[in-house]
Amino acid sequence: MSVYSLINNVARLSLQTSFSNTISRNVSTSTSLLFRATPCLMAEPLKKKKRLDPAIVRSREERKKKKIEKQIRRLEKNARQLKPIQECEVSLAILDDRSKRERNLPALSGEIVEKRILLEKKWALFKREQHLKDIQLIDRIGYSQQRAMDELRNESEELYQEALQIDFQLLPFSSQGPVETPPIKDYQPPDGDYQDISKVWQ
Amino acid sequence: MLRKSFKLLLNEKLPLYTKFKGHLSTTSLVNEKWDLLTAVCLERKPVITQELNEIQKEYEELLAEVEFERSLKSDHELQHELELKQIEALKKGDSDDLDVNLKQTAQDFVDLCVEELTQFKKGSKITQDDKKNNDKSLNRKLDKHLVLLVNQKLGDQKHYLLPQGKREEGETLRQAADRVLKQCCGPNVKTQIYGNAPSGFYKYKYPKQIRNEKAVGAKVFIYFARHLEGQLPDKGVDYKWLDRQEMDKILPAEYKKSVGQLLIDE
Repeated sequence: MSVYSLINNVARLSLQTSFSNTISRNVSTSTSLLFRATPCLMAEPLKKKKRLDPAIVRSREERKKKKIEKQIRRLEKNARQLKPIQECEVSLAILDDRSKRERNLPALSGEIVEKRILLEKKWALFKREQHLKDIQLIDRIGYSQQRAMDELRNESEELYQEALQIDFQLLPFSSQGPVETPPIKDYQPPDGDYQDISKVWQ
Repeated sequence: MLRKSFKLLLNEKLPLYTKFKGHLSTTSLVNEKWDLLTAVCLERKPVITQELNEIQKEYEELLAEVEFERSLKSDHELQHELELKQIEALKKGDSDDLDVNLKQTAQDFVDLCVEELTQFKKGSKITQDDKKNNDKSLNRKLDKHLVLLVNQKLGDQKHYLLPQGKREEGETLRQAADRVLKQCCGPNVKTQIYGNAPSGFYKYKYPKQIRNEKAVGAKVFIYFARHLEGQLPDKGVDYKWLDRQEMDKILPAEYKKSVGQLLIDE
């Protein structure tokens, strides 16, 4: 028995008289749903399933499995091979004749070692004082600005609020210099060809 | 040692703070009206680095020495050594290698490089304007910060001060700063004011004859700005670009203190 005939049989039980009406609606406002079922048309008859030899099926699955395993193995092998960084990796040629490259300088005399240690200490002191000065400087500039802001608030709350706004022209901020020697005016750099020799790694 | 330094820091800060408190109380007691002025501290960054002092130089030398000691010989050095040996062998006459003289030796290469370096002329750290001491030029004292001072009439006296102007009605202080800077520098100069908040403050009372109900004095809010490029016009404005020491000589004492507070030391 098809679904269609079943629905038709059940439909007779419905209390709703409008069911038998010829007007068809897609939306129902009453309790029973008004939908119509039609038998499917122009469908292809189902094909008969082919029976396969279980041995062939098994071999096929095995082949699939092997393929995936092979891929995994290849990935694992490659995982250990990192992209070489030329700057970090010393070439083997250099490593081989390392002993030839040793400077073999005479050991430093006690006097020089002493002098160096003293200089290190002097330097540490110098840097510390520099750092302290920097802290004081930042503190002073911050204080100067805070004082200006406090005075501004005393004068006008409105202007103070305006001054608190973020300056978007300032961001992103960039600054260059200073450099060792001043730039030469109208300097023409000597011509040269640009050759990109960086290797490509896949 | 550390604790001592912190104490030092605190001691520096305390008198300033108490003084500041005193200021606040006086203004809150008497309800006086003040003119609001905006000034801009326009500063040119140093173009070149300052010369290292003695200890910096010494330490630089030390670092270079240590780096040399820890390094290994380069290809160039190896080649040079090899060539020296070959020349020795040639002198003795027990080698008949003729190729040695044909190729460029390591020493030749060094000589070539040195020659190229001596031919290259670096930009001079001391400019023409340094020699003439032309304080209108930005191309002077390349290793120092330069601040723009403009000759302005206050009352009946003229002073070299930061460019300043009165805030007009309906303007924020920052807009006033922009306007003042534009009026002073003309259209060619590119500048950048750092933020909407003023970085420094200074106030002064007008002389008794001029003082009236409208205002007893002026409160100057100083904005900090960086000079990016361009020169000021030659005519119309009397200005100077001065470094810290020159500024110290020319600015009024109290004003100097306020300006000095917002600038970094040299």
